[in-house]
Amino acid sequence: MNKAAFTLTVAVCLAPQILHAQSEPRKIVEEAQRRAESKSQRYQGLLQVLDSKGKVADKRWLFTRLGSHGRSKAVLRFVTPPEVNGVALLIVNHPDRASDQWMWTPALQRERRIALQDRSTRFFGTDFSFEDLEERDVDQYDFRLIGEETIDGATCWRIESTPSQRKISQYTRSEVWIRQDTYAIAQVESYIKAEVVRRLRYSDFAQVQGIWTGRKMEMTDLRRNSRTILTLDRLEYNVPLKDEDFTLQALRNPL
Amino acid sequence: MRALCVLLLLAVPASAQDFTYRGFGQIQSTVYPQSTPQDHEHGVVEALFRIEPAYRAADWLTIAGSIDARIDTLEQVERAWRFDVTDRGLQRPAFSLRDGRATLRKGTVAAVLGKQFIRWGKTDILNPTDRFAPRDFLEVTDNEFLAVIGARGQYERGSNSIDLVWVPTFTPSRTPLIGGRWAPLDPQTFGTAGFVDLGSVFPDGSQFGARWNVLGPGFEASLSYFDGFNHLPQYTTVALSGPPLVALRRTYEPLRMGGADAAVTLRWFTVKGEIASLFTTSENADDVVMYVVQVERQSGELSLVGGYAGEWVTAQRSTFEFAPDRGLTRAFLGRAGYTIGPTSDVSLEAAVRQNLDGVWLEGQYSRAVGSHWRATLAGTVIAGDEQDFIGQYHRNSHVLATLRYSF
Repeated sequence: MNKAAFTLTVAVCLAPQILHAQSEPRKIVEEAQRRAESKSQRYQGLLQVLDSKGKVADKRWLFTRLGSHGRSKAVLRFVTPPEVNGVALLIVNHPDRASDQWMWTPALQRERRIALQDRSTRFFGTDFSFEDLEERDVDQYDFRLIGEETIDGATCWRIESTPSQRKISQYTRSEVWIRQDTYAIAQVESYIKAEVVRRLRYSDFAQVQGIWTGRKMEMTDLRRNSRTILTLDRLEYNVPLKDEDFTLQALRNPL
Repeated sequence: MRALCVLLLLAVPASAQDFTYRGFGQIQSTVYPQSTPQDHEHGVVEALFRIEPAYRAADWLTIAGSIDARIDTLEQVERAWRFDVTDRGLQRPAFSLRDGRATLRKGTVAAVLGKQFIRWGKTDILNPTDRFAPRDFLEVTDNEFLAVIGARGQYERGSNSIDLVWVPTFTPSRTPLIGGRWAPLDPQTFGTAGFVDLGSVFPDGSQFGARWNVLGPGFEASLSYFDGFNHLPQYTTVALSGPPLVALRRTYEPLRMGGADAAVTLRWFTVKGEIASLFTTSENADDVVMYVVQVERQSGELSLVGGYAGEWVTAQRSTFEFAPDRGLTRAFLGRAGYTIGPTSDVSLEAAVRQNLDGVWLEGQYSRAVGSHWRATLAGTVIAGDEQDFIGQYHRNSHVLATLRYSF
């Protein structure tokens, strides 16, 4: 089968599924999750923290992830500034409950488990909380379609996601904007009770190894009026990574 | 250890991608408002330069370490042109290998060989199960860990891990200098003639430890065993015929420990506990059980830790020991930290003996400037009774300012 014929076949087969997805918010999120799925991911992140006075503090990290969504493991290791070089976070996501997280601090030579109630804490002075670093799985939320809106010129579904009872979250609910053209997430607003507390905006979209990815994320803490911009450099999907590099032992003994 | 140093040096010309380094230079100034009977100096300035090279020799092997160079105004740092590896001197070495280790990792097994830091236990202010963790106590309240020379093997399978440690060479904690302001000796105890330091007698045997750790949803727990020597000394006194009338010698008594620690995450806070039962065959040291129970809670940018450390003396034999770990027992311990912003934070740490005979309180403000500089200002207040471990340092309240450049 030539490439054009194959594409046509896939399009015909998927068309009813996509049409059906448009009417059901859960199907939309599932489709977005399916399209973003990869066996692994690696990037170098540049974090720029801007406080309310516009002061910038830069941090860089190396991020690796093995697995996808509810069953993934990730390690995030700071590279700069020098005083946090080597500080690392291991995240083990679970499909049925909140992730497990441990932070390794080389100066103390100890790892510390991040307790569930600590997940609302800002991660290393950034506007991301520890919970924001978790990968969300479709099965951990209930969804409701609110409507359609345009973000950066792209029409998006606006979907409310509420944590299911087994999911412990600092957020009462979130609203997610998913682009209709690529199924990539364009924006997430997170609420505590009726107040929007954080807004995550994706931009600089590009297709990387077939996956539409927002390579720039801007997280705004609306209560502190500060924001953090995360830029993904040297992003790669489906890189060969080993399970043994995502353990507490590997966190303590980086190679 | 010598072979490891050679490996580290040979690593330098390797490809830049596999060789990394970081480090810092800092200057630290301490001001003591009060004199002590032993010491009338009111200020100390110490400069420290540390470089931490690392070389990834293979996918499964990394060689890393850190080298210190330092000098001070109080001669707590040696004035000798030698490079120290063993950390056994009474003074801090001017040039030293702080740690130097080869890390080998393949599959679920890891081994660390060389001079390394080994931290066990889960609680925050006092760790009774941390037996491979000697410290530099030249300034008792501003201490730092010393590395030990040995081999450590780790095996991790699923939620279980086993840690085996063998340390052939003993590394003692560095105790305050006799005649210095932190010396745990009141001259009045031995008369005005003073005393002479006969140095230390180090044990010959090797030390062994094992730890099993299990992770579960919302909890972690460990069992640990140690067979070796106490890194904190007993002082033995020798009567002399003429002045000075007393001579002091440090000995390090055999020690066995069975310990356990656990951390349980509850909805509103985390409970951590640690207990260690310490036995000795020595006629000069006590058998004790030490434990710590603490709760911690993080709320936004505020972190709070509060707890109690206790001890039971199951056999009392010691007459004169230097034991900061026991000095923090029978006490309420606490720590509060607040992150002000991306570049600054404050913290407050305290230990209060239950009979109020000793109180230690330390506050600290730290601020990063740009990507490389950090300034820290700390104040320590110590109060209490002369007979209490903490209280005996009531003349040593101080202010400490540190300026660090990291690269």
